[in-house]
Amino acid sequence: MTVRIRLLPILGLALIGAAPGTMPGVPDAEQATADYMLKCQGCHRPDGSGDDRSNPPMRGMVARFLTVPGGREFLGRVPGVATTNLDDARLAQLLNWTLYRFDAGHVPRDFHPYTPAEVGSLRQNPLRLDRQAVRARLVARFAQTDQF
Amino acid sequence: MAGMDTFAERLTRTIARGTSRRSLLAKLGLGMTGAAAFPVLPVARAATHPEGPAHQTVTSGTIQDPGDRTTCDYWRYCAIDGFLCTCCGGAVNQCPPGTEMSPITWIGTCTNPADNRAYIISYNDCCGTSSCGQCLCNRNEGDRPQVRTQSNNDYNWCLGTGSSVYNCSTAVIVGVALDHPR
Repeated sequence: MTVRIRLLPILGLALIGAAPGTMPGVPDAEQATADYMLKCQGCHRPDGSGDDRSNPPMRGMVARFLTVPGGREFLGRVPGVATTNLDDARLAQLLNWTLYRFDAGHVPRDFHPYTPAEVGSLRQNPLRLDRQAVRARLVARFAQTDQF
Repeated sequence: MAGMDTFAERLTRTIARGTSRRSLLAKLGLGMTGAAAFPVLPVARAATHPEGPAHQTVTSGTIQDPGDRTTCDYWRYCAIDGFLCTCCGGAVNQCPPGTEMSPITWIGTCTNPADNRAYIISYNDCCGTSSCGQCLCNRNEGDRPQVRTQSNNDYNWCLGTGSSVYNCSTAVIVGVALDHPR
């Protein structure tokens, strides 16, 4: 009985730690939400659903890029990310927030959040017209490993 | 000289035979009525209001959201470029019947004069029928050059809809901006 009582606060702490409000690499989720509205939502939709004709869907999809070689770099170099007029810190936060908000289920266990320095160096070399081909290659790659 | 006298006499007698003595009154009355009715005709109204027909004032009814939504001065229209749906049979957040709201939109911020806070506004275009043509409003605050495609509002934002024909623009509040927006 006493053991159970002692365990309860620890269990509570564990739950808080796993609460959806805390995302690794997202110090200010409110800021990230507003930045998503201002910089992404107009094309990618409020729920990240997108469509296959104009703006690719991110919901249930975006974190899968982290599972294939070159995918992590792609997410930092794709034009919508790389050329957004946000500083490196806010862009890194927004990128991490997007991964957890729209595709938490596919974020790898060993994922290290993007840092401002990493995003800063990736965006120096943005993708341009080759973005579609690069994306198609990566999607084909992780489609091969589908468990469905 | 006698010929002219005969001619004048014949003319006078012809008129006297063909008209009644009170017909002058009838004709004068008709002319006066016509002159009074002429400004009521649509032609005359268009001439006195060259800027187009006036629209009935549309307000939110709350002091938290002040202004007339049929005028370009309304605070939510700070970055709009197009016809106001409020003047086109729709509303500030609703498309006119027969049009489809574009899911892909231009998004910016506008300051609400009621509380001096910046709100995030989504300018969803309504698409599917030809231009509404009422209440053109082009303020463009925060508009960026076309090289920044996602922040430029000169593009047709009827994307992701069945038809890319532009009708009018709405201005929907989607959130509250933070203190340091860019």
